[in-house]
Amino acid sequence: MKILIANRGEIAVRVIRACREMGIPTVAVFSDCDRGARHVSEADQAIHVGPSEATRSYLDIGALLEAARRSEATAVHPGYGFLAENAAFASACLEAGLMYIGPAPEAIALMGSKTAARQAARRAGVPVVPGTDEPFGPDVSEREIAAAAEEVGYPLLVKAVAGGGGKGLRVVSHRGDLPSAIQLARSEAGAAFGDSQIYLERRILQPRHVEIQLLGDARGTVVPFVERECSIQRRHQKVVEESPSPVVTPALRRRMAEAAASVARLVGYTNAGTIEFLLDRDGAFYFLEMNTRLQVEHPVTEMVTSIDLVQWQIRISRGEALDVDPERALTPHGHAIECRIYAEDPDQGFLPSPGLIRALRPAGGPGIRDDSGVAAGYTVPVHYDSLIAKLVAWASARDEAVARMARALREYHVLGIRTTIPFFLWLLRQPAFLEARFDTNYLDALLAERQGATFSELEPGEEDLVAIGAALDAWLRAGGAGDNGRRAVERVSAWHRLARRESLRE
Amino acid sequence: MTVEVEVGERTRTVILERLAPGRFRVTLDGRPCEVDVIRTAEFGLSLLLDGASGRSREMLVAPGGERGVVFVNLEGRTIAVGINRGRSRRSVDGAPGAGEQVIVAPMPGRVVRLLVRPGDQVAARQGVVVVEAMKMENELRTARPGTVKEIAVAPGASVEAGRVLVVVA
Repeated sequence: MKILIANRGEIAVRVIRACREMGIPTVAVFSDCDRGARHVSEADQAIHVGPSEATRSYLDIGALLEAARRSEATAVHPGYGFLAENAAFASACLEAGLMYIGPAPEAIALMGSKTAARQAARRAGVPVVPGTDEPFGPDVSEREIAAAAEEVGYPLLVKAVAGGGGKGLRVVSHRGDLPSAIQLARSEAGAAFGDSQIYLERRILQPRHVEIQLLGDARGTVVPFVERECSIQRRHQKVVEESPSPVVTPALRRRMAEAAASVARLVGYTNAGTIEFLLDRDGAFYFLEMNTRLQVEHPVTEMVTSIDLVQWQIRISRGEALDVDPERALTPHGHAIECRIYAEDPDQGFLPSPGLIRALRPAGGPGIRDDSGVAAGYTVPVHYDSLIAKLVAWASARDEAVARMARALREYHVLGIRTTIPFFLWLLRQPAFLEARFDTNYLDALLAERQGATFSELEPGEEDLVAIGAALDAWLRAGGAGDNGRRAVERVSAWHRLARRESLRE
Repeated sequence: MTVEVEVGERTRTVILERLAPGRFRVTLDGRPCEVDVIRTAEFGLSLLLDGASGRSREMLVAPGGERGVVFVNLEGRTIAVGINRGRSRRSVDGAPGAGEQVIVAPMPGRVVRLLVRPGDQVAARQGVVVVEAMKMENELRTARPGTVKEIAVAPGASVEAGRVLVVVA
């Protein structure tokens, strides 16, 4: 077996790590701007697949299959994003004689259509959020959609049928805002997924986003896992995830897990998938959608269950029986939190902050896991998603995990680009976060209150420290005469010294 | 050596006197202290402060995008710091008064849509142009009310960071 990873960044590195642990050779793919990327140097082989534009590289099915052929790969792992929920890609892999590490193309197509997935959930007896069950194609007029909106009721969401990660999604509170929301959702969905179909969904007030990870094998065994709480979202994009949810009781966990498993069984689902639910104030939950791939936030589940989801994806694809103990999968051991470190500047409205990473020192120590896709010297490109690393903290209880995360964020040094680290340090001090009193609207409301205030505020004593450090740095850079002996890392490398010695000898 | 350092809203005067390799008497705004400094990596600095107590702090200092600016990373936060720029160079961007607003691309990307036309009246924090970067559409907004004076780009255009997009007078 040899696995080609049809992805980049941290998830490509994550899959390579699983493969290494299983003794499986790996093939990375890369675009023009990713030659220096970490997943390329960490793989056993790496094949160039095209220019930097994703549509001509990581989304180019022909180029990826050609890379698989050239590298003699026998299997393809899609990661998440890019082609991970593209049924045509899964089919193309199978037709080319490759193993596809994910669900069957039919399951991807069925559950990838949000409207078909809602119908499947209904058939499985799982409650769904009220909304339109038929997708609106690009030819459906705004007036027709507006008529359907009256039946769904405001406030509502305009969502891309092929959507995910908050892309192609707009909230509409007032009738008058519907046309512009339709336009934005269609154009964003078209650009991101190549499919501009949309549908409408009632907005549940003060909901929590709680999801159930599951694995299914070819023999019909489906194992649901302990839930993930993903309510900390900025503009519908998850930024912090944890497991277990602080508000889900063992009894509710069993009911949600059983609901998720029944949807998966109904559609004959195999491999890793996640069923997302909205949990309302009264503990009622509604099917939201199913993600037919590995999730970004899978590490928190791995940390509280000690079950490696990526390795199981590979085993299931190889036809192995899923012999995970269902009780172990459903019983959290301790508490795990993940912060998504994005190359975004929180002090400028979270604008993307691509560029050269001059220095990087990840956090480490007890209970810390750093799933990173970057290294010092790498230039974060403008072409792709801005997620550069996921920092995960595990401890025996939630408050300890939060304290551990804050400690690790202080240790995590990134220089050259802006990241969301200062924002997380602020969030982890908020009383509502510490008390786990939040819903999916919490973070956007809290950010709106701040009106763009900086997260990088220095305390008065720290300003003195920064002034002293910056001045000393200027002195050292201006020559630092006589102080070379005190430098732990000298500017002249060992190679230069060796070369100098060699030339003196001649 | 005397270094003028701009941190936050203030300009600080730092006088450095070398006592021994890696040891300095640092006088910050007239207050002296002893500091032991060592480079820990290309951009890393380890400081031991307050003399005998050895209070230990670490930071990263790297060149900023423009002359006279460095980025200092301290416990998860990154702060832009001016070095010997003189008082004349103080930024006026944040001034809330009147005047022209130049809306520039904050990052490289592609112009997706223009939301205003020349001559339009715009309110404070009104979106004027949508730029796509890293797969997200980012709506760029005005800081203050005004009138759109100039549209400097067309939809579909690829723009570099700093490129002028819209001017509001």
